[in-house]
This record gives sequence, structure tokens and C-alpha cells, in this order.
Amino acid sequence: MPFPPTSKPAGRRPAMKAGAVSATAMMAPALILVGVFILIPAIVAVIGSFFDFSMTSANWTYVGGANYRRAVTDPLFWLAISNNVFIVVGSVISQVGGGAILAAILDRGIRRGGVFYRTIIFMPVVISSIAVAFVWMLILDPNVGPLNAVVKALGLPTPKLGWLGDPSISLWMLLLIAAWQNVGFQMMLILAGLQAIPKEHYEAASLDGARGLKAFWYITLPGIRNVLVLATLITVIGGFKVFDLVFVTTGGGPANATQVLGTYTYTQAFSFGNMGYANAMAVVLLVTAALLGWLQVRLSRRG
Amino acid sequence: MRFRFNGEVRLVASAILGAAILAAPARAEDIVIKMWTLDNNGYKEFIAEAAESFKATHPNVSIEHQIFPGDPYKTALKVALVGSDGPDVFFNWAGDRATQLVKDKLALDITDYGDVPGGFAKVLPQGLLDSFRYDGRLYGVATDAVTKYVFYDKAYFAEHKLELPKTLGELGGLCKAIRQIDPDTIPMPLGNKTRWKAIHWMTMLNERAMGVEATAADYDLSRPADQLYTDPGYAKAFQALIDLQDAGCFEDAPNATEYAIADSMFITRASPMEYCGSWCTSALDQAGFTDYGFFRLPVMEGGKGNPDANFLVPEGYQVSAKTAHPQEAVEWLSFLVSDEQALKFAEKVQFLPSNTRLIDKAEGVPQSFKDIASEVATVKEGVNVLDALLEATVADAYMNATVEVLNRTLTPEAAVGKVREAALAVQAKK
Repeated sequence: MPFPPTSKPAGRRPAMKAGAVSATAMMAPALILVGVFILIPAIVAVIGSFFDFSMTSANWTYVGGANYRRAVTDPLFWLAISNNVFIVVGSVISQVGGGAILAAILDRGIRRGGVFYRTIIFMPVVISSIAVAFVWMLILDPNVGPLNAVVKALGLPTPKLGWLGDPSISLWMLLLIAAWQNVGFQMMLILAGLQAIPKEHYEAASLDGARGLKAFWYITLPGIRNVLVLATLITVIGGFKVFDLVFVTTGGGPANATQVLGTYTYTQAFSFGNMGYANAMAVVLLVTAALLGWLQVRLSRRG
Repeated sequence: MRFRFNGEVRLVASAILGAAILAAPARAEDIVIKMWTLDNNGYKEFIAEAAESFKATHPNVSIEHQIFPGDPYKTALKVALVGSDGPDVFFNWAGDRATQLVKDKLALDITDYGDVPGGFAKVLPQGLLDSFRYDGRLYGVATDAVTKYVFYDKAYFAEHKLELPKTLGELGGLCKAIRQIDPDTIPMPLGNKTRWKAIHWMTMLNERAMGVEATAADYDLSRPADQLYTDPGYAKAFQALIDLQDAGCFEDAPNATEYAIADSMFITRASPMEYCGSWCTSALDQAGFTDYGFFRLPVMEGGKGNPDANFLVPEGYQVSAKTAHPQEAVEWLSFLVSDEQALKFAEKVQFLPSNTRLIDKAEGVPQSFKDIASEVATVKEGVNVLDALLEATVADAYMNATVEVLNRTLTPEAAVGKVREAALAVQAKK
């Protein structure tokens, strides 16, 4: 008895080819956009990081790795990195942690008005960061801001240098604003994860005597593990890329106290005209974001 | 013989006419001068009316005017000038920003275009022409100059029998007196969140401590490295700022206060004084506050400054090196600083024009504007502002040092050290 042919039937090849062509055609607009607005600028940034040039100058001088060596010895670069790390850690705790608590309350703790609270908490997510920054600048203003008035009314001392003028407080204020704006997004992600866990799991666990913390540890946490990983990675990447909120609210001040990689790169490029150095810092940021993105894909695949 | 306008002739005539139309040079109206300026009160109206008037002599030229807010403008301009769709003429501050564009060959040498009958070089005073001069050539047209004064509420001063100070020490005493009247009244709000307000103070405090001559070689980094920013006057100037802060002149958190909030404190008469620019008069008048006076920042006790020197920052226009219409662009700028247009500029924008020939005839401007114009005429020495005059990184270091002095995280000496460090780094690169 003849065996059936092991190779694919010849008649399917044109169909596959046509499928590949149409897939390519459908992906082309996105690929072109990614190429023009992400890939090419990224390549130019990498090339530019090995040159010394200003934005208004036509002369590019090759300097090898000097811009990277400069970054290593630049205390402001390290200050910006450490501020980014502070924002990343703080944001994971306040946004993912806060989002998880809010999601748990909305999933289990509130019987009425869940949609209302969800909408209220999510609302800041849809407001632009610039608008959020301006609103908070007014709230935190030491002369006319309501926060000072409330704190004084409670008989508590207000910071003498202002919420955004005191180097020891201003970074915390940025964390607060970022948490206020983004906690709703994390809450929604985690809430979706919580609601996707079948109720039968809890019922079965309950029969086996696993309730409360045990149920949370063995059912809830594994059930939302992927969502938590995703939420954490989104927050970490966002924390490294943060720019608009800092730029508008403090401009990196007072006296560089809230400088982050994004604002410092901008300052070097557009205020000081050090485009090569700014490119080198942008490449550092790019590599960091790319690594974290890769980690996100890897972890979600594993999950 | 009768000429017959038959079909063939019509056809040929039409063909010739069509060819003539196609072959004709582009219509003269096609010349468009793209102009970028800041968004100041009355500026848009002034340029629109001037553009209409300009058509009388240049019917072929249209002006396309775009306005920008201050800080984004600095970045947008650099990007645009490097690109292919930048402005033909643009606003700029005299000083390092204008010079940098010249060095990068982005600003056009307009000496020859302006040095003709009716050209701007025949109209403007030498001092203002020099503000945009580089290596003996002209790279800009000064349109106006801004200055600063301590504005004060006349009614408040009369009510509490307060006298105008003659020295910085007396100014501090005045602040103390105001605090005694009402401890919650901020005598002179600063509003230094965006850092430029305090650098304006330092500009004049340096002058009051050392004089313009003594600082010039530090500002342009021409002094030998071992002497750069070593004059004790710099620390003395920072100390003067601290003394005023200690006298209660400013709000508690000047580095967290927006300049607009500080301005509004004076405009709403919550504060009786503010060190404000000549541009503030139009905001005050619009708010209906006209009962105010002004005085120069007083001299420093033991200082080496010139009492006749005052803050005077020329501003103007430069022409892009990429413009396709340099002749028309400069003719437009020359038109803007002509006697008639300078007068209209004063009336509409209420800025002090670079051409003051007809300033006395200005109508519809508040008396304070005319008073300031008269006062500026008595200034013997102009003091350019540090954030426009200094190299960008040195200016940034100066602004940060001033922030830290106000926050008391740096002593005056340490603050000067930070500035010197930045200046030495830039000098070493040169």
C-alpha cells in the first residue's frame, strides 16, 4: 500500500503564498510607521551617540565612545538614573500595589456602586499628563494651593520651601501625582484578572479547607500572576520613560533634584546643544526599555 | 485689408496667450515672508496691520505670522531653522542665543541689506545696532528693549507713609516695615519656579556689587582661568539676595511659586511691590491698576556699580540664512522699525521701541509707559540679562546656584564655586 505523500500538497502552496502576501500587505502600514518613526530614529540615535554635534551645527565630529564615558563620569546622569529607579520602585509599590488593593476591594469588598467607583478611579487615566501636571501644580502651590490650606487647617506644618520647591519632597510629590493618574489603569488590569478566575476554584478550595489567606495565596495570586507581571513591567517601563509629568511640574528642579533621564536628555539636547551626548543617554534609555520589553515578552510566554 | 478674426487666428492667439501665461514668471504675490515671534499682548494685531501697510510699497509680499509661548519657542526655533520649513524672519534675544545662531551659520548677515536709505541701520541708534553685531557685521535688527523696575503700590505707600529706598539695605528695611504692618503680606513676591525671575535679580545685583566692566570678562569667558569668577563681588551679590530674603521681602517658597502667581499678587494689590519688567505695565493696565509707581533697583552699600546703569535687554529679529527672499525680509524688518511703525509698536504692544523718535506722540498708552520711556532715556549703561548673555551651561549653573542659595542649600561662596566650575568647563572646551 503506497504511503501518502509526506510533503505538503502542491496545491496549497499558492494559497499559502497568497496568504503571506496579504499578511505582508496588511502589516505594511504598521511596519512603515514603525520603521519611519521608531527604527530609523533609533538607528540615527545610536550613530549620533558616537559623534559630537549640536542641533544647529552641520558638523559632526566622530568621538568614539566619549559620550558614553562622559555619562559614566557625569554625576547628573547618575542622579537622573537614581531618580528614575526611585520612580520605578515607588510606582510599582503605589500603582501596582495600590491598584491591586483597589481591585480587590472592588471585586469583593463593595456590593453597591462598584461601577461608579471604578469610573471615578479610572478617570485620571484618560486625562493628558500635561493637564494633570498643571492641575497638580495649582493644588501644590504654596501660596494659593488648596493642599497647603488643608494641611494648615489640620494644624500641621507645611513644607517651608513648598511641595515642589523642596528637593527632599519634590520627587515624592511626582510619585503621588503619577500614582493618582495611573493607579486606575493598574486597578482595571488586575480587576480583569481577578474576575477571570473561575468561582469554582474558590468553592473547591473551600471544600478542601483553603479559605482567606490560603485561598489568596494558592488561587488568587497564581490566577493573576500574568496580569501582575504585565502591570509591573508596564509601570517599570513607564517609570524609566517618564518625561512630560516631570518636565511640566518641576522642569527637573529644584536645582536638578527631580532630573530624570528623559528630562536630562532633553536639557542636554535642546538647552545645551549637546546632541551627541543626549543621543548616548537616549541609547541607554532605549536599551533599558528594550531589555524590559524583552523580559515582558519572555515572562508572559512562560506564563 | 480687413483683419479677419477667424477660427485659425483665434486658435493661434489662444495658444500664444496660453504659452505666455505658462511662461510668465511666478506672480509677485507669491513672495511669502514667514515670521515667528513670541506671543505678547497686542503683537498679533500690530504685525497684521503692519503687514497690510507694507503692501503699499511691496504689493507682492505677504507676511505669514506665527506666535509661540516663550519656553517652547526656544526649542521650536532651533528645530525649524535646521529643518527645511523654518521662518524667514524670527524673534530672538540679543546675546548668546543670537550669537550661537550666527556661529552655526543659521542667521543671515544683513549688514548690506540694512545699510541703505530707509534701511534699519540708518534708523537705529548705534548701541542697539551693536546688540546684534558679530565680528563687525550685523545679524539682527533690534526692535525693542525690555527693562526692569521695582513697581510699587502708591496708595499703600501713602497710607502707611512708606518712603522709597535709596539703597538695597533700605529696601530690606522697607520689607521689614511692611511685614510689621501685616506679617502675612508678602512685600515683594519673587515667583522663581521657572528660575528666570531670580536670575534677573542676580543680573542687577552683580552690577550693583561690581559694575558692568568688572564682570564682562567673566561673562564672555575671556578672563584667565585662574581668575575666572573669583571677584568677591559675586558672593556679595548672592549675599544681598539672602539679606533681602531674610528681611522678609519674598514669599516663603520662592522656588515653588510660579511667576504668574507672583505677578497676580501685585496686580491684585495683595503685595505692595514687585520687581517686574517693563512688559508688566500692559498687564497692570488691563487689570485696571494704574496707581503704581516704579524705581530702579537701588544701589548696594559699598558696591562698585553705577547708579545710572539698569537692566536693559535688547530684543529683535534675525533673518534665516536659508531664506529665499533676503532682500524682502530685511526690507520688512526695516519697515517695522521705521518711525511710523515704531510708534504703532509702542501704542499697540506697549514695549519700548528701538526707534524712539516719535515716542512722545504715542496715543492710548498709559502714562506709566511714557514715564518708563523717559526713564530709560536716562540710563547710561545697559545691563544685559545673565540667562541670555551667558553660555547656556554657565547660565544654567547660575540659575541652579541661585535656586540653591534661596533654598539655603548653598552658601554664597559655594554658589559662586558652582558657577566658576561650569565656566571653567566651557572655557576649557574653547
